[in-house]
Amino acid sequence: MIFQLLAQTLVNGIQIGAMYGLIAVGLSLTFGVMKILNVAHGEFLMVGGYIAFWLFTLYDIDPLLGLPLVAIALFLLGAAFYQLLFSSLARLHEEIKMKNTLLVAFGLFLIFPQVSRWLWTADERALTPAYSGESFPMLGVQCGYVPLCGLVVAVVVILGLHLLLTKTYFGKSVRGTTENWKSAKLMGINVERTYLITFALGTALAGIAGVLVGMTQTVTPDIGMPWTIKALIVLVLAGIGSVGGAFFAGVILGVIEAVSAIFIGPYTVALGMVIFLLILMFRPQGLFGKA
Amino acid sequence: MLEVDNIDVYHGDLQALWNVSLKVGEGELVSLIGANGTGKTTIVESISGLLTPASGTIIFNGVRLDKEPSQRVVQLGICLVPEERGIFPGMSVLENLELGAFQKKSRKVKDETFKFVYELFPILKDRSRQVAGTLSGGEQQMLAIGRGLMSKPKLLMLDEPSLGLAPLIVKTIFEAIREINKSGVSILLVEQNVRAALELAKRAYIIENGRIVQQGDATGLLSNEQVKDAYLGIGSV
Repeated sequence: MIFQLLAQTLVNGIQIGAMYGLIAVGLSLTFGVMKILNVAHGEFLMVGGYIAFWLFTLYDIDPLLGLPLVAIALFLLGAAFYQLLFSSLARLHEEIKMKNTLLVAFGLFLIFPQVSRWLWTADERALTPAYSGESFPMLGVQCGYVPLCGLVVAVVVILGLHLLLTKTYFGKSVRGTTENWKSAKLMGINVERTYLITFALGTALAGIAGVLVGMTQTVTPDIGMPWTIKALIVLVLAGIGSVGGAFFAGVILGVIEAVSAIFIGPYTVALGMVIFLLILMFRPQGLFGKA
Repeated sequence: MLEVDNIDVYHGDLQALWNVSLKVGEGELVSLIGANGTGKTTIVESISGLLTPASGTIIFNGVRLDKEPSQRVVQLGICLVPEERGIFPGMSVLENLELGAFQKKSRKVKDETFKFVYELFPILKDRSRQVAGTLSGGEQQMLAIGRGLMSKPKLLMLDEPSLGLAPLIVKTIFEAIREINKSGVSILLVEQNVRAALELAKRAYIIENGRIVQQGDATGLLSNEQVKDAYLGIGSV
């Protein structure tokens, strides 16, 4: 009985952790490549969830089929916001850039919930296709279709991102820009364009995560910041600069939260913050980061 | 081929270059020498588009460069191997070289360029899978030059390639620079190692406090009393 409970908890933890990983990877990408800490990351996630909600309720598009559409929409939205608000700051000296972009992102965090209250009201919205409550037994553990789909989507997207960064010329130029933007420029890489696309990729990843959040939990105008904080915890846990690392750190956090919920109940949220502080104190480079 | 005409360059409010003019001809090897902090790096960074001159023009094969972004400069055939090498330390040697050929035009012919670079620096081929940050200083400099060559430049600018290297390795690097020049690539060499630079180059410019103060034949400068005095430490005091 206790074994079954643990196994079930483990499965749940992995599934939610994969989602954490997906959210953190997007944040990690923009922070790693251009040193912009996008605290509005969760806001883009929220918008992604609402767009999927619109597609689902207005046009009857299944959330999973709507995923690519949401990703494209959030890519374009991210690109527009970057061009409008961040691009002129990206040229500044690193420390000033960090501070100013942080302020802009905090501004977005204040504006986005208000706008979405106006667009979608403050009601809790959820993406509930016909199969959403169903599950199947696997080795004595109940496996929900929707969480499983979420896990598959997260793994596929992160694998895809990993391949993009390691195998393609564009991906290599992103990594080169991360390591030394000046040299990247001297190699003829259009660093401004690389920044634009990277930021947009980050928001597209947030959008995809938003759909998964909408399918497994609910979307309200105020979910942005909690998810940003979750992503930050995962980012600190993983360390900067590793796509796979962010994903595994997400899974680790998901499992820790799920298992500890058995014992300490509602205090699991605080546990995340405790982990955050412990990592910063004893292993500031993160579990998978380089010293 | 390259004509820099009367450029003034600022770092913020500070003026770093005053009326700097220089020329590099087709196939030429030209040195730019001077002490630390006199503006040598500022000159090559202005040519490569990292800095924009406040006035004056930079023309390369008939095209004005001084307002163009750096990727356009690379596209037209000028590549700068930066000071302190600027390799991508977390990426493999091979990936570093691949990024050198980022421009579409150079990507098309990269197999051939790889052959040339590996012939010049065989060690890079042996180390192609190694993470670049773990290479020795000399190997990193070879990688930086090799990466610059991957863009198939018509003019290669080298900013202090001898910096921090053992004399024996400096010799190898300078030998390679001569080879590259022989293969038809024009070279603008920035150096503090004045004697070596003057022995390698045909012509040279001497820069002091952001101004070109001397120019001419390298052999002539080598025997110039003033140059001997200031840079070679063998003048009559």
